[in-house]
Amino acid sequence: MKIKVYRYHDGMKNPRYDTFELEPKPGLTILGALFQFQQNFDDSIAFHYSCRGAVCGTCAMLINKVPRLACRTQVASLLNGDLKIPLSPYHAIEENIEWDNKEEVLIEPLPHLPVIKDLIVDMGKFFEYYKDIEPVFKPADSTPEKERLMDPDSIPELELYTNCILCAACFGSCPIDDSDPEYLGPAALAKLYRFYIDPREENGIERLKIADIPRGWWDCKFHGNCRRVCPKDVPPLIAIAKAREQLEKEGEDR
Amino acid sequence: MGVASTVESIHYHDVIIIGGGLTGLRAALQISNSGLSGALVSKVHPLRSHSVAAQGGMNASLGNVPGDDGASDDWKMHAYDTVKGSDYLADQDAVEKMCREAVATVYELEHMGTVWSRLENGKIAQRPFGGAGFPRTCYAADRTGHNALHTLYEQVLNKNFPFYEEFFVTSLVKDKGRCIGCTAIEIMTGKIHGFISKAVLMATGGFGRIFNRSTNALINTGDGQALALEAGVPLKDMEFVQFHPTTLYGTNILMSEGARGEGGILINSQGKRFMEKYAPNSVDLAPRDVVARSIEQEIREGRGYDGGYVHLDLTHLGSDRIMERLPGIRQIAMDFAGVDPIKEPVPVQPGQHYSMGGIDVDINGSTILPGLYAAGECACISVHGANRLGGNSLLETVIFGRLVADTIIKDINNFQIPDILPVESAVNDVEFKIKEVMGREKGANIFDVKDEMTELMFQKFGIFRNGQTMKKGLNEILKMENKLSELTPNNKDLAVNQTLIQFLELEGMLKIAEVVARGAIKRKESRGSHMRTDHPDRDDKNFLKHTIIGLEDNNLNINYKPVTLGMFEPKERVY
Ligand SMILES: Cc1cc2nc3c(=O)[nH]c(=O)nc-3n(C[C@H](O)[C@H](O)[C@H](O)COP(=O)(O)OP(=O)(O)OC[C@H]3O[C@@H](n4cnc5c(N)ncnc54)[C@H](O)[C@@H]3O)c2cc1C
Ligand code: SF4
Ligand code: FES
Repeated sequence: MKIKVYRYHDGMKNPRYDTFELEPKPGLTILGALFQFQQNFDDSIAFHYSCRGAVCGTCAMLINKVPRLACRTQVASLLNGDLKIPLSPYHAIEENIEWDNKEEVLIEPLPHLPVIKDLIVDMGKFFEYYKDIEPVFKPADSTPEKERLMDPDSIPELELYTNCILCAACFGSCPIDDSDPEYLGPAALAKLYRFYIDPREENGIERLKIADIPRGWWDCKFHGNCRRVCPKDVPPLIAIAKAREQLEKEGEDR
Repeated sequence: MGVASTVESIHYHDVIIIGGGLTGLRAALQISNSGLSGALVSKVHPLRSHSVAAQGGMNASLGNVPGDDGASDDWKMHAYDTVKGSDYLADQDAVEKMCREAVATVYELEHMGTVWSRLENGKIAQRPFGGAGFPRTCYAADRTGHNALHTLYEQVLNKNFPFYEEFFVTSLVKDKGRCIGCTAIEIMTGKIHGFISKAVLMATGGFGRIFNRSTNALINTGDGQALALEAGVPLKDMEFVQFHPTTLYGTNILMSEGARGEGGILINSQGKRFMEKYAPNSVDLAPRDVVARSIEQEIREGRGYDGGYVHLDLTHLGSDRIMERLPGIRQIAMDFAGVDPIKEPVPVQPGQHYSMGGIDVDINGSTILPGLYAAGECACISVHGANRLGGNSLLETVIFGRLVADTIIKDINNFQIPDILPVESAVNDVEFKIKEVMGREKGANIFDVKDEMTELMFQKFGIFRNGQTMKKGLNEILKMENKLSELTPNNKDLAVNQTLIQFLELEGMLKIAEVVARGAIKRKESRGSHMRTDHPDRDDKNFLKHTIIGLEDNNLNINYKPVTLGMFEPKERVY
């Protein structure tokens, strides 16, 4: 089998694709394949890595036209065609790159963020939007001596959102982030919702108002790509729908 | 040579923190609150630090869950378990400090917004963990590190604390017997920066990746320990390396003890359950080191599978129990080994897990070099001694991140603003060195040498050690160190040159490997994680002491330091 890898660095007019042949041993991940590429083919290849265990969120890239974590994606299952994920279309996944999906795996950088080199994108914008929603705990009361009590039943819903590893796979899959580069994106909105539903916070609706702007809650068209690509099953769509409902209700009450 | 040509800039901050894991972030928060100017330098975005991967939890004697007979936990019992677990090599004053501060530290994270798992009564949930007499481990499902790291990152970001992300620190700068800053490569551009500061805090994590089988993140290459050594600061107890019995074959991702806790059993290639032979009482649930040694012995005696693994069988638990209790484990096995534990056994082997040793610091986190401090896994304040208890290292990072920052805040008034010249000249030195490395003739493959070293370390300095093989191993390490001067990246661009970064990591890793080797060869006893087949017993008479290894005139020098006892007298460690 082969991997076909997007290559670009400063000064190149157009990106090119390099193809590299390797043995798809059981258990080989895309990240593992990239390390083989680096070791045996071309040591100038650039890609992000750290935990190699799908927890640090640094290795999201476009693999066979779907944003995924390179470390969690098995080469063999891609070739078997097990890992097809249907997505609402947007520019980056529609581009016509020729690749033989029985023999080859196509690896490209995550869309909607500027490419620095090869598979490394500049995450600056993603984290800027994250920061825009003021991601910090704002407790309702003064600090108690011990822990604040929390109903264990409130935890599962919170965990849906705290599980986000800020990998930006959703950002790279979102047709709205494609058409509106200002859109805060699924991860930032899901994070904002996480603070809103934290029972220890009581800023209530004020929290949600941070994104009560065109580039916030109201930009989403519910394509649902974010949920489909998320490696941690975070449901930004539910957060967005519920936030809108709350804001609309508040509007009526006033 | 026009060495100053690519100098981007020199930055001044009162305090430079190297590392953005739990330790570095907690220290950053403290420095920020104190009003000093600080900055955090990290080779990866802080959220990509290894701390994010910690699963099981953080120990503190909250006493939210009663022990047997309704007894209540306290810091002294926590201290006792820690000291016993350490095989009496931990410094008991440091252990006391940690265990006393533990409760407030878990509360502190809660107050900052960490979502902990909860009991029915709304309090923070606690679970039993290996080597602990109480259900003392506070947890956030199996994502404790993730939750805590995100919380601290949010707090520090909120302070607009400056981050230098994806800056790889290349040297510490000394002037007049003091540490006055560091140099770093900005990875994305390849430019060399200089940092001037009154104090530098190392929070660079462990060195697990000198072993080819490790549960650690790929970035855990022990850079901080190597930087300190290079700056003349000794390392302590580096031969003590923890191995976890069950890591997934192939990637060595951690398969938590929970799998055996729920009833999983280990099976060799003859289809036989073998733990009965090694630990007739606790069988598959014997302590980590015992299980790791047993698996390794089965493999060495030819009863493992090709490639060197055994089976962790969960199939008898049935699909419901697995889905309910072990969903995370199942997901990892499916994603990373293509194996569904409901249908087939999971291939596992022991792997490196934690670095007990590190930069030698006193109880305040100070090194022997004024202005240089260390905390977290990169340091050895010695709360873990010869063997760390699960759940104690997350605790260590957050507590000592804060306390060592406090030491710095106290000390800093004694330090003058440093001269810029030595930092400039250090930047020039790094540039010069990199030019030299890049200008070399094409040599051996850097990655091949790295593979060779990591394989050697596991084979010769792994779970079982003995004098003869270790001496051979040391010779091979020295040969590889000599080979370093012939290595060069094929890629000659400086911007985003990850091969160059890995080369620089490899230089440090080999030095660290040598330190581990020398410490292990000289320690002619078995204690905690250090198991010598030629010296199978603990020898308190000769070895109840810390190994201290420093660099003098390019040679490694071995000394020893007494262990601080006080609360608990050494006893045999039986479970
Ligand atoms: C799989 C796994 C599970 C674990 N689970 C638990 C658990 O349940 N409970 C527990 O108590 N402990 C656990 N541990 C141990 C614990 O996670 C670590 O000891 C702890 O997170 C270390 O934190 P740290 O802040 O010291 O270092 P790290 O989190 O490793 O951070 C190191 C930082 O230093 C930076 N750095 C390193 N070198 C350089 C350089 N040259 N230049 C610039 N920056 C550099 C890195 O970028 C990083 O930001 C676990 C460990 C593993 C491997
Ligand atoms: S919501 Fe999911 S896909 Fe988006 S950043 Fe978080 S973990 Fe990644
Ligand atoms: S390397 Fe951490 S998520 Fe892939």
